[in-house]
Amino acid sequence: MSLLKRKKKDESPEGSGEAEAVAKPTKGERMGQAKDLSVHHGTQGAIDVAGWVDSRVNATGIFTAMMSRHVPKGTNWFYTLGSATMFIFAMQAITGVFLSMYYTPSATQAYASITHLTNDVFMGEFVRGMHKWGASLMIILIFLHMARTFFFGAYKYPRELNWVIGVVLLILTTVMGLTGYLLPFDQRSFWATIVANNITASGPVVGPYLADFLRAGPDFSATTLSRFYALHMMVVPGLMAALIGAHLFFVVKLGTTAPPWVRAPRPKGARPSESVTAGVASEDLEEVPVNGAAAAAVTEADPPVDEANAAEAEAVEATEAEETESATATEEPAAEAATEEAEEEPPTDGEVSS
Amino acid sequence: MSEPLNKNSEPGEEPRIKLPEAEPRGYFEGESMTRRHVFTVASQAIGGVAALAVVLPVVGFAVAPLFTRGEERWEAVGPVSDFNAETYKQVVFTEITGIGEAGKTTAYIRTGAEKFNEEPNDVIAISTRCAHLGCPVRFVQAAQNFICPCHGGVYDFEGKRLGGPPVRPLDRFQTRVRGGQVEVGPRFSVTNQLKAVRVRDPGEFTGGIWEFLYPPRPSTFPPPSN
Repeated sequence: MSLLKRKKKDESPEGSGEAEAVAKPTKGERMGQAKDLSVHHGTQGAIDVAGWVDSRVNATGIFTAMMSRHVPKGTNWFYTLGSATMFIFAMQAITGVFLSMYYTPSATQAYASITHLTNDVFMGEFVRGMHKWGASLMIILIFLHMARTFFFGAYKYPRELNWVIGVVLLILTTVMGLTGYLLPFDQRSFWATIVANNITASGPVVGPYLADFLRAGPDFSATTLSRFYALHMMVVPGLMAALIGAHLFFVVKLGTTAPPWVRAPRPKGARPSESVTAGVASEDLEEVPVNGAAAAAVTEADPPVDEANAAEAEAVEATEAEETESATATEEPAAEAATEEAEEEPPTDGEVSS
Repeated sequence: MSEPLNKNSEPGEEPRIKLPEAEPRGYFEGESMTRRHVFTVASQAIGGVAALAVVLPVVGFAVAPLFTRGEERWEAVGPVSDFNAETYKQVVFTEITGIGEAGKTTAYIRTGAEKFNEEPNDVIAISTRCAHLGCPVRFVQAAQNFICPCHGGVYDFEGKRLGGPPVRPLDRFQTRVRGGQVEVGPRFSVTNQLKAVRVRDPGEFTGGIWEFLYPPRPSTFPPPSN
C-alpha cells in the first residue's frame, strides 16, 4: 500500500490532484492497481480466488498492514528473536499434538507409553526429541527476546502493555516446562514434580492450597498426572496462543523501536536545529520521506493526528535528548496511518482507493 | 438519546404536544435511570449470570480436591516382634493407591524407648520424606542419623533436625497394633519438641507463628492427640 502511495505521489506532487484521484478512481485504474499489488505480493496466479476472498474480508489489506509495515532504520537480526520464539511455540504445538496420539496420561501406563513411543513408533524418537529440545530452546529464545527488548529500550511508552503481556508469556512458558516435565513419568520427572510442588507449598498462607490444587489433593495421586496433562495440553497453550495474538497485534499497531544507536529522524514540528546535531550522518535522516508519506496519508484521513500522537509529539519535543523515544514517536504515525487506511477502504475497492 | 422526547413537530416550530421537560436529560420525573441504561444493565447482568453458570461449576470441579479428604488407610507392616527400641527397621507400604510403584513410601519403625520417655508399647514410624523438599532420606546405622541425599539435611535418631536446610523434624505415621500386627496409618507432622501437629508439606515450618502462616488444609487428617 505504501508502495502505491509513493507512486501516486510521484505522479501528482500537488495535493489537490491526488485528492481528485482518490475521489474518483475509474474501474480500470483500480483493476490495474490491484494487479500491480498482486504482482508486488507474488499472488497474481491466485488473483481470482484471492480477489473473491479479498472483496469480502479485505485479507490483503490486513496482510499488508501486518507484513508491509515501515520498520525503523537499523533493524537487525536481534529483531527476529520474537518470531523465532513464536516459531518454536508453533513447533511445540504441532509435535505436542502428534505426541498426544501415542501418550497415555495415567500413572501406571505413562512411562510404558513413552517408551513405546520412543522406541517402537516410526520417527517417534525424532518427534519426541523435537518437542523435548524445543522446550529448552524456547526458554532460551524467550529470554534472549526479552533481553533484546530490555537493552533496546523497546519496553518504553507506548509499548509497556506489550512488555507486560510478554512477562505473562514468559511465566506461562515456564509453566509449560514444569507441567511437561512430569509427563514421561520416570524417576527424574516424578521427583522433580514432588520438589516443585513442595516449593509451591512452602509459600506462606496460599502455598499449601496452591500445592493442593496442583496435585489435586494432599499428596501426589492418580489425578495429579491427568491434571498436569490437562494444563500442559489445553489450558496453558490456549492462554499462550491468545496472548501471542495480543502481543502480535500490539507489535503491528505500535510498530518496532529503532535500535538505541540509530539517530531518530526529526519529529514533526521540531525546529531543524534541534534534530540535526553534530555527528549525525546524513543518511540517518533518510527516514524523513517515510514520514512525508505518512503525513500525506494522515491529511487524507479525516482526523489529521489523533490526540495520543499529538501528545506524544509534544512529549518528544520536550525530551529531545532521548533518541529512542523520538524514534518511537515518529515511527508511530506511519504505522497508525497504515492501519487507518486499511480500515477505511471500501471492501470492493481492495487496495486501490486509498 | 440526545433528542428531546417531545419533538413531534418540524424543527423551528413550536412543539404541538407539550411533554414535561426531561430534567436531567433522558430522565423523567420519578425515574432513576433511562430506558437504555435499564436495558444495558439488564443484558449485562444476564450475560454475567450465563458466564457464571459455566465458570462456577468448572472452577468448583477443579478445586474440589482441596476440600475432599480421602479414606483413612491402615496397612499392616509386620508382627510387633519384628521391631525393637534400639534400632529402626525399614518397611515399604502403599501410601497412595492407584498409581502403582509411585504410591509406595518407606518408613523406619521402632518401638518406644525409655531414654526418650516413650512407652514400651508405643510404635514409632518415621517417614522418609525429607522436611526440606521431599526427597527420600536414609537411616545411616553408623552415624545413627537420617541423611538426605539431595541437599544434605541431617536428622538425629528421633528425627529431629541436626543440620542442613530442613525446617522441622521428620514426619511420622500414626501406628496401632491389631492382632499382633503393626499397622501404619495417616501421616502427621511434628514440632521441634516432637508435639504432633496436622500434616503439612515439606518446606513448611511447624509450631509458633507458622501455625498461622501455613493454615490447615481440609484435605488432610487431623493429628493424633498427644
